[in-house]
Amino acid sequence: MAIKILSVDDELDLELLLTQYFRRKIRKGEYEFFFAHNGIEALKMLLEQRDIDIILSDINMPEMDGLTLLTKINEMANPALKCIMVSAYGDMSNIRTAMNNGAFDFATKPIDLDDLSVTIEKAIEQINFVKQSQKEHSQLEMIKTDLAVAAEIQQAILPKKRPEFQAEGCAFDMGQVMIPAKEIGGDFYDYFHIDDEHMGLVMADVSGKGIPAALFMAVSRTMIRISGLQGINTAQCMRQSNKLLTKESVDNMFVTVFYAIINVKTGEVSYCNAGHNPPYILRKDGSLEKMPYSETFMLGVFEDTEFTEEKTKLEKGDMLLMYTDGVDEAFNPQNEGFGDERLEQILKESAGDSCQNIIDKVIDSVKAFVGEAPQSDDITLLAIKRIS
Amino acid sequence: MTTEIREENNSLIAVFKGRLDTAAAVQTTKDVEPLMNAEGKDVVLDCTELEYISSSGLRIFISILKSVKAQGGKVNVKNINDEIRKVFLMTGFDKLFTIQ
Repeated sequence: MAIKILSVDDELDLELLLTQYFRRKIRKGEYEFFFAHNGIEALKMLLEQRDIDIILSDINMPEMDGLTLLTKINEMANPALKCIMVSAYGDMSNIRTAMNNGAFDFATKPIDLDDLSVTIEKAIEQINFVKQSQKEHSQLEMIKTDLAVAAEIQQAILPKKRPEFQAEGCAFDMGQVMIPAKEIGGDFYDYFHIDDEHMGLVMADVSGKGIPAALFMAVSRTMIRISGLQGINTAQCMRQSNKLLTKESVDNMFVTVFYAIINVKTGEVSYCNAGHNPPYILRKDGSLEKMPYSETFMLGVFEDTEFTEEKTKLEKGDMLLMYTDGVDEAFNPQNEGFGDERLEQILKESAGDSCQNIIDKVIDSVKAFVGEAPQSDDITLLAIKRIS
Repeated sequence: MTTEIREENNSLIAVFKGRLDTAAAVQTTKDVEPLMNAEGKDVVLDCTELEYISSSGLRIFISILKSVKAQGGKVNVKNINDEIRKVFLMTGFDKLFTIQ
């Protein structure tokens, strides 16, 4: 595309001079010249011809002088529009004023056209640089918008509405949160209704963060949910999901999963921990138990991994809290981790509180601990408590 | 985070120093490239000065393990600190690697 140059001068001979000197470039379509004879005319042309790249303006003109024109152009706030000021050599104070007001460069009369040509080339280089930056900036803005939409979608696929069970004596309370470190994350929780008495609960953490983790998260969540909904036991569900995920995993991407099935009527919990942080059970009396470490490996790495199911029980008033390492591995500016002890302390002090309140307390405490440090990993918690 | 690789008694030794978090994982993946072509040699992952490992770091360890094993070698992990030991325990990595 031709570079559009607007020459503003009350002396008409400059018009001839420029078109003569730059005739080759004009013929080749590299430069296109426009002419105005004072500041006001120039402003009108700028409004009509919005893609002017360079203004070559005399300082001393009738109606509106070059310095006033420069001020008006500055108000347009277009960094890709460059002004080259022209004046007599003796007019140095005006030239300095123009330079201090953001003129790109200046030329003195009588104009040395070879020199002006170099100045124009230099201006074009800068204009191209600005335009490229503007283009990249707008592409970045688009990616940011996409990410914001992706984040909304991700939050939307995490369940908010608790499954309902009709049978008597199966009342429970739940709470949950997922806060990604970047716009979108690789952590997720899930819960779903399996049959009249059973509910599936999932807490998982995909390796890495951001978009790759989020994509693998969506795949993992779907596969585990589809397997889980078949009503198979937790070890079978992990085995089946692992087989499918190992096929989908790129560069050994993996997901650690704690999958539990709770009988909401009896409080019996069967679970399989595939390389995930051991959850806590906060008993009604305020005592806290950390569940045993995982016996099996995470999902997505080895197709033939063996999974085992374990069992435990929640009495009425007991709470099961599942979480990801974004909690205990939240780092403060000194690179100290939040750690298990702080988490355990909050839990011990919270017996009897609602699940969501406890989770909110943990989040507040983690945020206070981390302070100014950037969030290092996705933070996810899910709690379920049997109530009488 | 730095990674140095040297050869000693027909084994490849990778010395990790610093925090192997998600941000460092990109460079570390490049740095451990020679281990992916160990041609049957055993590999030692020296973690004496490794302060922290994130899940992206664990992924790198799995990649190394898979390719070294496929070429007939063994992978030993040397001197992990308590924090990393906890991560290894939790994720089952302790059963996957021989820890010295």
